Amino acid sequence: MRLLLVEDDAMIGESVRKGLRQDGFALDWVRDGEAAELALANGVYDLMLLDLGLPKKDGLEVLRTLRRQGRDLPVLVLTARDTVPDRIAGLDAGADDYLVKPFDLDELAARIRALLRRRAGRADPVMRHLGVELNQATREVRKDGVAVALSARELTLLEAFLDRPGAVLSRAQLEEKLYGWAEEVGSNTIEVYIHSLRKKLGAEFIRNVRGVGYMLAKA
Amino acid sequence: MSSIRKRLLAWLLAALTLGLAAAAMAVYQQARADANELFDYHLRQVVASLPGQAFPALDVGAGGGADENTVIQIWDRTGTRLYFSHPSMRLPQRAELGFSTVATPQGPWRVYSAIIGSNVVQAGQPLSVRRELAAGVALRTTLPFLILFPMLGAAILLTVRGALRPLDRIAAEVGSRSARMLGPVPDRDVPDEARPLVRSLNDLLARLDQALDSQRAFVADAAHELRTPLTALKLQIQLAGRAQGDAARAQAFAEIDAGLARATHMVEQLLALARQEPAASQRGFAPCDLADLARSAVAARAVIAQQRGVDLGVKRADRAVVQGDAAALEVMLGNLVDNAIRHTPAGGTVDVGSHVEHGRPVLEVADSGPGIPAAERERVFDRFYRLPGSQTTGSGLGLAIVERVAEAHGAHVELLDRDGGGLRARVRFNEPGVPDTNGNKFAAPV
Repeated sequence: MRLLLVEDDAMIGESVRKGLRQDGFALDWVRDGEAAELALANGVYDLMLLDLGLPKKDGLEVLRTLRRQGRDLPVLVLTARDTVPDRIAGLDAGADDYLVKPFDLDELAARIRALLRRRAGRADPVMRHLGVELNQATREVRKDGVAVALSARELTLLEAFLDRPGAVLSRAQLEEKLYGWAEEVGSNTIEVYIHSLRKKLGAEFIRNVRGVGYMLAKA
Repeated sequence: MSSIRKRLLAWLLAALTLGLAAAAMAVYQQARADANELFDYHLRQVVASLPGQAFPALDVGAGGGADENTVIQIWDRTGTRLYFSHPSMRLPQRAELGFSTVATPQGPWRVYSAIIGSNVVQAGQPLSVRRELAAGVALRTTLPFLILFPMLGAAILLTVRGALRPLDRIAAEVGSRSARMLGPVPDRDVPDEARPLVRSLNDLLARLDQALDSQRAFVADAAHELRTPLTALKLQIQLAGRAQGDAARAQAFAEIDAGLARATHMVEQLLALARQEPAASQRGFAPCDLADLARSAVAARAVIAQQRGVDLGVKRADRAVVQGDAAALEVMLGNLVDNAIRHTPAGGTVDVGSHVEHGRPVLEVADSGPGIPAAERERVFDRFYRLPGSQTTGSGLGLAIVERVAEAHGAHVELLDRDGGGLRARVRFNEPGVPDTNGNKFAAPV
């Protein structure tokens, strides 16, 4: 899952980026409202974490513009403005959730998962496909009831497949799920992770669609 | 007596009493004059009505003829008393003719003597009769007023009380307020005399309300701003809790340390700002040499400047003495120098100096950093305002503190371009020894 973090404070931004990466999210971080709009333009994000007090363009304004464009990207507002009118203004401007600073990293991750789940139309935090289970909350993976150890990136890829079980995902799409901007993407990195996932979950679990990408085996 | 009510009552009642006494006295005097005239006429009549011819000597002691208070005696030319109406009373025999006042053992008497035929006839009367009559008249005239007196007093009391009731109402209105109710006192039904008071009170309340509002806003802003460093700290601590391995843990703790330093700095700046509240200024001002201030500010930051690769030094430190609070001035200059160091890239310079310009002491801090765009030079003095795009995690209070301290010293802060790029911050004081007590930035020295 790829997230956009809009936060002008260096220390908070750094910590959120670090923490959410540990939780298996790919995350890009911009520091002002205008940069946020530029980043949103390419439409690769699954969710935006938005601070309200931003330089150049206020967070609420960014949010309103996004909604005016008809985009339904889930938005979680992170802000120190905690009065009821502030929350109401935030939610009415189109936020899906509202978290007041100082917040807890684990709670932030849980709320992000909940928003993503809701958007995918699932209520159950456990994703299942052909005997493979991924618990989004605990980041645990089981195959036929037996725990399987996956690296953070393997897990992110598996999550992307389980999120849309019938869809074919291109290599570029998978790369987007995996990396923030700052990281180098090797040319065969995705193949390496797919190979390792097949080894752990069964060779037939992920299928090649030649010339297009990958998809999960049909149930 | 500071109570208007008591004073009014006392003066009105005293004036009424005095007036009444004076009126009674006047009536008494008038009545006595009238009585004198009347009784003198009476005495003359009595004497005139007596028989003119000589009559034989009467029995001494035979009474009759005159009333109780009028004594008549008649004697002939030889001095033999012919008649005496009241044996117990004796009028002096050798009286001059006409009216005279004689002292007797019973008090002064009024005596009228005349020669009728060959006899001397005298009619006398005690003066006390007249006094009593006059006093009676005076008493009867003033008695109604004496009865009216308490009623008048009550009427005055009620009038005074009624006239002062608006004041009581205002007092009750103000007295019943809580500390938060700073709305104006209604000035309808307020007497003209009390209106200026109510108006000034309302002015004061309005100013107080404004001051409280800005104080509340400041506290809200401060609490809000403190959330940012606290949020960073909380996240950093959580990350430290998750850290695996010594290196990651050491890194996490270094970040916590930085977060804590930042929160501490924010609190210190808030305290510095609170200490510079306008009310706290002007006391304890003493002569301070800006050159000393510049040198010690540079010395205190030499190490950190070196670490950052910034060439920090004193450029020109002319003796320039101002009246001021040395500790506050130190905080002010410290903030300017800290800002300069923070915004100057490695290899840059920061110059601190003092001099006197047209008789005015000037402190100056110049850096070779990126400067501040002209459009932002007003706003950077606002509390918690940070330049957009600035990556530093300052409190946003530094320049607000600088301005506050400068204001308290009647000085003016200017942000200018430095020749060759960068920012030149100047603090211009009024003439030494002429601290501007009105807080006007450019008050002309008198």
